[in-house]
Amino acid sequence: MDPAALAYLAAGLGAGISAVGAAIGIGRLASSSMDGAARQPEAAGDIRGLMIVSAGLIEGVALFALIICLLLVLFV
Amino acid sequence: MIGRIRPLRLVALVVLGVSLALSATPVEAADEEVTLESIVNNTIIGHAEDGYYLNFKPFAQVELPRILLVRTADGALTLEAYGSTKGLLQNGPYGLVHGGDEEGHAAPITASEDLAEAIAAKEHLHGSVVRTSGQVVADFSISRHLIFGLLAMLIVLGIFIALAQRYKKEHDRPEAPQGVFQNMMEVLVVFVRDEIAKPNIPDGKWATFLPYLLTAFFFILVANILGLVPFAGAATSNIAVTGVMAIMTFGIVLLYGSSDYYKELLTGPPDAPVLIRIILVPIEIIGLVMRHLALAIRLFANMMGGSLIIFSLLGLVFMMNVIMGEAAAWSTTVISIGFTVFILLLKLLVAFIQAYVFTILSALFIGMAVEEHHPDGEEAAEPDVGLDGRVEDRLDAVEDKMEDRVQPTTA
Repeated sequence: MDPAALAYLAAGLGAGISAVGAAIGIGRLASSSMDGAARQPEAAGDIRGLMIVSAGLIEGVALFALIICLLLVLFV
Repeated sequence: MIGRIRPLRLVALVVLGVSLALSATPVEAADEEVTLESIVNNTIIGHAEDGYYLNFKPFAQVELPRILLVRTADGALTLEAYGSTKGLLQNGPYGLVHGGDEEGHAAPITASEDLAEAIAAKEHLHGSVVRTSGQVVADFSISRHLIFGLLAMLIVLGIFIALAQRYKKEHDRPEAPQGVFQNMMEVLVVFVRDEIAKPNIPDGKWATFLPYLLTAFFFILVANILGLVPFAGAATSNIAVTGVMAIMTFGIVLLYGSSDYYKELLTGPPDAPVLIRIILVPIEIIGLVMRHLALAIRLFANMMGGSLIIFSLLGLVFMMNVIMGEAAAWSTTVISIGFTVFILLLKLLVAFIQAYVFTILSALFIGMAVEEHHPDGEEAAEPDVGLDGRVEDRLDAVEDKMEDRVQPTTA
């Protein structure tokens, strides 16, 4: 098989799988922080700050994967 | 929801989207055949990447000066400066290598008529230059991201020197300086101090690091917002810029780290077996470096990703034009611009969030490093609570929980 074609395939699959991972992570994060905020509305401000930071961390992992996919596409 | 947005603002947003679409017109649209590869390589990647030209596409394209430190064939180090990449190729001993070839290493274009042809097709903006005799030691050329980084720096300096001067001038007056702009910036400064620096840096040491955190926050914020301005670019979508900022945080962590922090880093956690320490210490050190590397890559990838998405959405129009014809391209335009406006609004949010995330993580890492452990103080404080007090606390907690559980079903 053509190695370039395999690289494109890997990049596409990788982008999709990393999106699934990030979606699961951010979904779980959002659901639990909403639970928390609903249970303790006075802590909603703190929870929001923590949520943004952890969303940033999760997104960072997904973007690592995205960069690898980009490298696969651009430098085959 | 949409009904509440005033029509005027909607029009402004659409104009913003259209102006971006105009600035993304493919390079070869004029005379050459437009291919999918040229759209992807030159238009989409070329806009998101750094380059040695400023793009005011429907009006002009300004090439930036090239400054190179070279070692000539006879071994002497010289600094060569040219007004533009075009001038460099026409006057100096340089050849053009156009990227995107299958084998990766194409022979450089050196003959003058070939060069003239390549320059006419604007290939020199997207390719790289090599020296035909001797070699390039270092490239100090002024690039687009450098220009916009310096612009962001000037904006931050201008805003905050003016703000600080007003405090100085009116120091004897009883009331604080007023004005919409002054108060807006004050809110952000107080936000960084109270929400980012104070909670994360313990023992009242936040005052030492507040200037760095404020500088990082406002530089990133202004650079990110410059990335949303049509024809401009975000300096933070360059890995070198974000890398240097992460190195600054790393340097502060190393310089200001307390002795407790270094002891725990280099010898492992206290009262752990030796075998576990042997495993844990390398992991801790790698983790320390990776944390700061991730800091750089997160900001870079967020900004780069945003502009890539925008240019990909707009590039879709031109791709449709190549693949399916003009009618499909026109109908794609509507969808593309709608999505672009949405992504632009998202990028405005991301500009703030990424400045916040970078600053708060820097504060967190610095706070972890400067923290001093007081094991004696903590352990002395605990027994004072007494057994009875603890039991009562627990009972209260259980009662609270029961109430929490019961209430939703009754209500």
